[in-house]
Amino acid sequence: MRRYLNTSLTLIWRELEGIFYSPLSYIVLTMFLLLNGYSFYVSLPSAQGNVSDTIRYFLGLAWMSWLGMIFIPPLITMRLVAEEKKSGTIEMLMTAPVTELQVIFAKYISSLAFYIFLWSPSLVYIIIIKRYGAIPDNGVIVASYLGIFLLGSTFISLGVLTSTLSGNQIVAAITALILNLMIFFIPLLSLVVQWEGMRRVLNELWILNHFKGSFTKGVIDSFHLVFYGSLTVFFLFLAVRSLEARKWR
Amino acid sequence: MIEVKELTKRFYDVLAVDRISFEVGRDEVVGFLGPNGAGKSTTLKVLTCFMPATSGSAFVNNKDVFSHSLAVRRSVGYLPEQVPLYGDMRVTEYLQFRGRLKGLSGKELGRRMAEVMETCGLKSMATRIVGQLSKGYRQRVGLADALINNPPILLLDEPTGGLDPSQRKEVRHLVERLGDAHTVLLSSHILAEVESMCSRIIIIKKGRIVADGKVDDLVTRLKGGRRVHVEAGCPLEVLRRAYGTFEGGPRILSTFERQGLSSLTISAIDGPRRSALLKHLIEHQVPVEQLTAQSLSLEEIYMRLTLEQEVGDAGDHGEAHDLSTRSASPPILETAAEATPQTDHAGKIDTESDTDSEPAP
Repeated sequence: MRRYLNTSLTLIWRELEGIFYSPLSYIVLTMFLLLNGYSFYVSLPSAQGNVSDTIRYFLGLAWMSWLGMIFIPPLITMRLVAEEKKSGTIEMLMTAPVTELQVIFAKYISSLAFYIFLWSPSLVYIIIIKRYGAIPDNGVIVASYLGIFLLGSTFISLGVLTSTLSGNQIVAAITALILNLMIFFIPLLSLVVQWEGMRRVLNELWILNHFKGSFTKGVIDSFHLVFYGSLTVFFLFLAVRSLEARKWR
Repeated sequence: MIEVKELTKRFYDVLAVDRISFEVGRDEVVGFLGPNGAGKSTTLKVLTCFMPATSGSAFVNNKDVFSHSLAVRRSVGYLPEQVPLYGDMRVTEYLQFRGRLKGLSGKELGRRMAEVMETCGLKSMATRIVGQLSKGYRQRVGLADALINNPPILLLDEPTGGLDPSQRKEVRHLVERLGDAHTVLLSSHILAEVESMCSRIIIIKKGRIVADGKVDDLVTRLKGGRRVHVEAGCPLEVLRRAYGTFEGGPRILSTFERQGLSSLTISAIDGPRRSALLKHLIEHQVPVEQLTAQSLSLEEIYMRLTLEQEVGDAGDHGEAHDLSTRSASPPILETAAEATPQTDHAGKIDTESDTDSEPAP
């Protein structure tokens, strides 16, 4: 068990190194910071002085924060397995005494850590608001960040999955992006679906509703925890299977 | 240590490995020889648990590669053919990472790292970025990685591939040293190298084992394993005509002519008959330069075995064709570069082990 844990930690550390050694990460980081800064800049006036609203916009309701949540995860995850497949290092990796689960988990965890790292500077904006005397609702902040984390976790696990499917990073990124957009937009069908039951199901799946109705109001709904948690587990499970798939060919 | 039974690997409709069976004993160094695409790498990939076999079984260190994959991988050091490495790491970082993955830590890891870097001549490259290393050094890093946890079994896929002659020599010596305390199965298509490193050879062709045994045994087992080689400083026609008049001479196996030099090879004849032949040729005004009794070199065994397979395979112009064209001309393979052969003026390589030459007058 201890050996298993040590190996996992070694893999996670290696993945983090891989992320921080990659020039792409810094491009992503820069893009994200610009986006985030601009998003804050736009959120300030649009809330018309209401600090809580600014934070709500900034952490989940502004379209620019959505750009960060939908477009950034595929950029972080695209290289994970695809690059190893292309360069052949996957052979070195999988002939070492490690399991597919360990490898996928390490890739997922390290990407999620980078995603959190990306979002962490946004705390500065919260501090700025506080410094200027406004006291925002902590519940809103915590719940909003939780929402961002959960959604990121889901999209990163999906990105890990698509990265295992292809030896080409671009294909992996675009596939992940398309799937992210589908998860985001398909529930919009609830606007046109006539059948009441279906409409309600779609409404429940609509991510934007989760943010509008729950996270940015400071409410944590256990349904949402289960929803994003199980999606993450499901995608990671598929990713492990996909990595194992070389054994079925 | 390694036991393979009826192993078959099929990629969709391509049969890469076809019901092969062999065993490798403890501390044995076995060479896996065959043309490109023969199934060597595939077999090694199965043994390292990278891919499973379609059917059959394989045991490494008495553990099934399918059901005890992790245990097998712990006991195996593997050097893949292309040596894929993480280009963004330094040599020490990479070896540290690999050592940790293989269960080493703390002082032991440091000690082993120092040892393998010494063994593989990597000390001067310790802080270099792996991605900037030359092919030879990448190969060394791969080898160091395979050795880091001192596994009892080493599976080396073309360990000398892409190296320059002196590096090859080093790797050869290294493998020879390792062979004392390790079970080694290495693949190669460089014959002289396998001959020098391995105690036993398995020749594989189109996914099937065509020969398995010690080099000497293989020679004896092959019909016509020994023969006589005659060289003369005259046109081939003259040599041939003179030989034609030699009574009871065995049939000519091959001939060669270049720049006024000619040679022919015939099936083996005993000592007195050789003397008689030499005398006969000289009497017929043939300027004989050399008359040698030879046993087949590994190269020729290899050529023969891989070619024989093809005789029945009409219409197949794949590798067999390539091999047959190569064997028609003097067998100048990669061995020529560094296997310390005696290259004579006819351009023929003499990789002889047991030779009794009778000097021409």
